[in-house]
Amino acid sequence: MNRLKLAWRLLLRDWRAGELRILFAALVIAVGATSAIGFFTDRLQRAMGSQSAELLGADLILRSPRPVAETWLTHATTLGLRHSEALEFPSMVLRGDEMRLAGIKAVQDGYPLRGSLRISDTPWGVERAGDGIPPPGEAWAEARLLPLLGLEVGQALTLGDIELKVTRVVAFEPGGGGNFAALAPRLLVNRADIEHAGILGPGSRISRNYLFAGEIAALERYKRWLMPQLEPSHRLVDVREDRPTVGAALERAERYLGLASLAAVLLAGVAIAMGARRYSERHFDVSAMLRCLGASQDDILALYLPQLLLLGLIGSGVGVALGALVQAGLFQLLHELLPVRLPPPGLLPALLGLLTGLVVLAGFALPPILRLRQVPALRVLRRELTPLPLRAWLVYGAAIGAMTLLMGRYTGSATLTLSVLGGAAAALILLGVLAWLLLRASRALRHGAGVAWRYGLNNLWRRPWAASGQILAFGLTLMAMALIALLRNDLLATWQAQLPERAPNHFVVNVLPDEVARFESFLQDHAIDSAQLYPLVRGRLTAVNDTPVEQVLAPGDDGGGAVNRELNLTWSNTLQEDNAIVAGRWWTAQDAGQPLVSLEAKLAERLGARVGDRLLFTFGGGSELAVRVASLRTVKWDSFKPNFFVIFAPGVLDAQPATWMTSLYAAPEQRAAMAQMVREFPAVTVIDLERLMEQVRRIMEQVTLAVEYVLIFVLLAGFAVLYAALQSSLDERLYEGALLRTLGASRYQLRAGHLAEYALLGLLAGLFAAAGSELIAWQLYTRVFQLDYVFKWPLWLLLPPIGAALIGAAGYWGTRHVVRRSPLAVLRAL
Amino acid sequence: METIVSAEQVGKQVEVASGTLTILQEVSFAVAAGESLAIIGVSGSGKSTLLGLLAGLDLPSSGRITLAGEELNALDEDGRARLRGQKVGFVFQTFQLLPGLTALENVMLPLELAGNAAAMAQATALLERVGLAQRLDHYPKQLSGGEQQRVAIARAFAGSPALLFADEPTGNLDAATGGRIIDLLFELNAEQGTTLILVTHDDKLAGRCGRRLHLDGGRVVADESKNGVRK
Repeated sequence: MNRLKLAWRLLLRDWRAGELRILFAALVIAVGATSAIGFFTDRLQRAMGSQSAELLGADLILRSPRPVAETWLTHATTLGLRHSEALEFPSMVLRGDEMRLAGIKAVQDGYPLRGSLRISDTPWGVERAGDGIPPPGEAWAEARLLPLLGLEVGQALTLGDIELKVTRVVAFEPGGGGNFAALAPRLLVNRADIEHAGILGPGSRISRNYLFAGEIAALERYKRWLMPQLEPSHRLVDVREDRPTVGAALERAERYLGLASLAAVLLAGVAIAMGARRYSERHFDVSAMLRCLGASQDDILALYLPQLLLLGLIGSGVGVALGALVQAGLFQLLHELLPVRLPPPGLLPALLGLLTGLVVLAGFALPPILRLRQVPALRVLRRELTPLPLRAWLVYGAAIGAMTLLMGRYTGSATLTLSVLGGAAAALILLGVLAWLLLRASRALRHGAGVAWRYGLNNLWRRPWAASGQILAFGLTLMAMALIALLRNDLLATWQAQLPERAPNHFVVNVLPDEVARFESFLQDHAIDSAQLYPLVRGRLTAVNDTPVEQVLAPGDDGGGAVNRELNLTWSNTLQEDNAIVAGRWWTAQDAGQPLVSLEAKLAERLGARVGDRLLFTFGGGSELAVRVASLRTVKWDSFKPNFFVIFAPGVLDAQPATWMTSLYAAPEQRAAMAQMVREFPAVTVIDLERLMEQVRRIMEQVTLAVEYVLIFVLLAGFAVLYAALQSSLDERLYEGALLRTLGASRYQLRAGHLAEYALLGLLAGLFAAAGSELIAWQLYTRVFQLDYVFKWPLWLLLPPIGAALIGAAGYWGTRHVVRRSPLAVLRAL
Repeated sequence: METIVSAEQVGKQVEVASGTLTILQEVSFAVAAGESLAIIGVSGSGKSTLLGLLAGLDLPSSGRITLAGEELNALDEDGRARLRGQKVGFVFQTFQLLPGLTALENVMLPLELAGNAAAMAQATALLERVGLAQRLDHYPKQLSGGEQQRVAIARAFAGSPALLFADEPTGNLDAATGGRIIDLLFELNAEQGTTLILVTHDDKLAGRCGRRLHLDGGRVVADESKNGVRK
């Protein structure tokens, strides 16, 4: 108890004397940065999650061809989840003599659980948020259904045995549109009417969608409970699965944010390690005196460990508070860009921040503090006696241990953590040697250098290991900053490419063959950007190498919806821009008319089909066609452009009846042209993706925002750490500088010496950082982010001069005291 | 009289780049409780090394040292630390005050380490005794050399040690200030009945001690008391 009190008093005295400032600042910055990122991403992730849920109309959807057990729904209620059931099935709707296939969706009160319908009173009219669902006896129809049936809003149509009055036009429906396969226009009806319509006989193709919404934790619990009970015909859908673009973006953003937190932690570690080293060295005398006054080695630990713990708790607490403050300020600044209702920050990031602070402190500050235990008492008589340097394994072991722990927490994946850490450890050893070699090589500079420069550079060469340590520290800092900046650029570019400004926002299908030329000139006349027009031929894949398809696929696999139903087949001379051949070759002009197809790679994998294999297709009217696989392609399904599982060589499908389709971009001011298109080409079906794309784009904007601001956090933390690290390297230089001044060195000589020393340190750290970033970025890109990696040569050009300028300037500035104050004052103060 | 510290055939060698360097050899003597002993000799004669060994800050390469009845070789570092804490006080040439602590806190430190609940009162009293009642909250930086050494003396006497070791206590002070420090040291020594062992160049200081041990080249060449040469 007494020891603890004494430890507390010593801590207070140290605090007052300013001994703790750097260590404390490093800790506060570290925890502040990580918890600011933590709070920020926590809130933004929840915001993005809820935005994504609006896209889906729910947090989670269970799709089933049959009603599910009642207990599945009651369990959801028990967990506090809301749920609603929506039936989806195709059915004919009639109006007088006109008869059309519509995609019926029968909904209950509460639908949609997330987001809202967008409705209007007239086709293509002014949109507003929908309230509720169609009351019994009414139906809301997608705009394109109305002209097909010659129907106006307010008139009735027939569905099975009942009449429904169409009262609204549905412009956007969460969890509905955008699916290219769902060609039939939507008709939204009340669930209560379906029982009377008499259209749901046995064998009807019905999809029951059970929508769930609620707290994330409850959803996770429900998913875990439900998963093992699912049958092959059940599908559990969340937004990641439903929208691969959004899913992939969210996933990458989460990984990026996790990594950024980690970078901040690493930066913090470096600063804390340097701060702790300085603290420890400045306490050698105290420890020696304490030993002299009768303190045992255990007493020394009993005095310093509680101090470290207290410092850790207080520093982390202040850091968390700072992080919360920064985060709140940031949201205030950004409130226009963010959704109106943001969930408040959770407690978890605060706890994590505290824990991070303590773990980093233990990993990076404990080893130097442990050294205090070994200060010999004789140091009171002979000041040159210092404790033995710590064993390298202890220092790095503790740091790597702490990082492993934190990485595991931030990435949530053991294999990822271990592989990255293994790589990092190997890189560290390699780079440590590199730093030392660079230092050796830099000695060549000494020839021809002036006296001031030689003095400065000598400072580095005299203590190669200390200098290597500093290069390592500065280099790691620069590297963390460079990596996060690098990733940010490439992630944003990837997302930009996925959703360009004028990405197609409509699909147009069913352009009749004799209308193709007229349709193309219509687009041209109205200056509407469109993709190439593709012919569509409906056909079934029936056999692979003479084996029926059903036997080729694994049981329960429907080939991703590509098998056992009519496929959209096409032919083309050219390969779509965003498709890539992964096996075989694309055809040339000479192959025209040859029975060749290009197959989507994932479907080929499921079918076990390779280049050269034979496929058999059946078409309406019973005709058959045997073709050979010429190539396999990867397809970007979420590019909002026409894409196909199977593409034929030109000329092969000429005998089959075809309609044509394309995707196009219509600007808001071109809506009138779109309405005219529907009138001029009555057969054409237009599928509006605008609303969907807007949602996707908004989510992407938020993800981008998160990535941008987190980069700024990391950069700020990096600069702060550089400063802290620099401060802790100053003592010795101040002392030497003061001595040199007493020996008659001019201000100019001293300043030039310091500049040379720090600039070289920065230059070498920059080289180190370039090598390290290249190595780690390559691993991260290929393993974690699934991005293409190209050699990042600008790193090598930029980092060394940036390092030299930054660290040189900071060192120059930091050592200005030596030059300004009288040498005596400096010597006395030390 | 009772012997409080003794050296028997003490030798000290250290390894240096050019081989083994002998700092002390065959040093034997005993100091009785209450005695005052000055160890004198030219620079490099081994004075400070001997002081360090006698105080248990280091161990001899050969021979035995007994401090307050305990043989130092038989104790480990922590055992020697405990012994120092109970029996020994120190005064140094460079004062060795902790720069982050005030004068009062510096004096309190050994008392606090010993778990003394009245640390502040005792430390305040000691600082008043050395004439620094007005300087309790000053930091070492803010004190003159003489004042710093007074704080160090107050700290040395704080634990009521049986033995006080002083390493060139006036070495960093001018003659007048040094004189006052010496007076103070001997006054307190007399008040508390402490055994005093000091290393010095200062003839005036050495002259005030009851006994002087001359070292040369690591050997004791003379051991004289005020009453005459013993050896």
